[in-house]
Amino acid sequence: MTTLSIVMLTIAAWGQRLVGAFLIGPWLEKRPILARAAGLIPAAVVMAVIVQLTVARGSSLVVDERLAGMSVAAVLVWRRAPFIVVVLAAAVVTASFRALVG
Amino acid sequence: MSSSSSQVAAPTRLSRVDFATMAITFFSLGVTLQVLLIDNGTSSTRALVASVVIFSATSQFAYLAVRDGGGGDWAAIAAGWVVATRFGILAVSLSSRLPQGFWRRAAASINAFDPNVAVAVQQTTPWEVEREFWRTTAGMMLGWFSGLAVGTLLGNVLGDTQRLGLDAIFPAALLAIIGNLLRRRDGFIAGIAGAAICLVLLPIVPAGLPIIVSVFGVAISLIMVRVPGEPRTRRSESASDGEQS
Repeated sequence: MTTLSIVMLTIAAWGQRLVGAFLIGPWLEKRPILARAAGLIPAAVVMAVIVQLTVARGSSLVVDERLAGMSVAAVLVWRRAPFIVVVLAAAVVTASFRALVG
Repeated sequence: MSSSSSQVAAPTRLSRVDFATMAITFFSLGVTLQVLLIDNGTSSTRALVASVVIFSATSQFAYLAVRDGGGGDWAAIAAGWVVATRFGILAVSLSSRLPQGFWRRAAASINAFDPNVAVAVQQTTPWEVEREFWRTTAGMMLGWFSGLAVGTLLGNVLGDTQRLGLDAIFPAALLAIIGNLLRRRDGFIAGIAGAAICLVLLPIVPAGLPIIVSVFGVAISLIMVRVPGEPRTRRSESASDGEQS
């Protein structure tokens, strides 16, 4: 990570909380639709990051072992498995597929 | 376990087991993040400093995702910013429930994460909210900082992380973090829409942009799912599927 990115992401994580608590919060209280929209942003954006990490290599789409690992992880998250189990299963499945294929 | 309509994701009060689960979760998150940062070419000191001061695994994951995809520093930072809006939203729901006072609210708000806010907002009085918030936060921090330490040591020892499947840990961790949100109907639709937008744009626009544009998945969810009580709601109670619009 570059120094610039460390500084900017620190401001992003800490600053947005303070802005949320003291400025946006009181303002959103009167606007329930926008409050709902704000609550949904993480679902959309984090899923996009997941797509990028699972089926992209640079700017091309590829299907490889990572997708197998993620499919197992998705089932485990749905079944409310503990975090550590989800993460380890994703790694083990991906590694096993890699060992089998390559 | 009778057929009550309880589907609470977070515990109301933090038992010792919950405390341990919280600590273990953040421990594994901390280890994962450090190993990936170091594997990505960040020096271990720099990785440790970054994770301690930023204190936001999701933003760092998003940043790395864009850099890995060939995006520039600013594009990656922008993706990290968008992902960190989640914390602003968590701070919104926490802050108004706390006892009055700028500093005590500020101190709690900057530590707002998904699990501690989820536990805190289920309390009744402002003082209970504050107490349970800090108890949960203590468990998280215990796990997080020890995880960072172990991850920093491991990051230098592990050889070929691809062979170990560590690149799959990254998206799996993110999915586990937003799992509860995706279990809600509107959260699920927003998530699918965001993923679809990213999938379509990925091959055709510069790296970083698909993640930023995926915000519009929220609009799709708002159009498709109306919450009871909102104006113009006209659907039967068995609104499970068959959305055509």
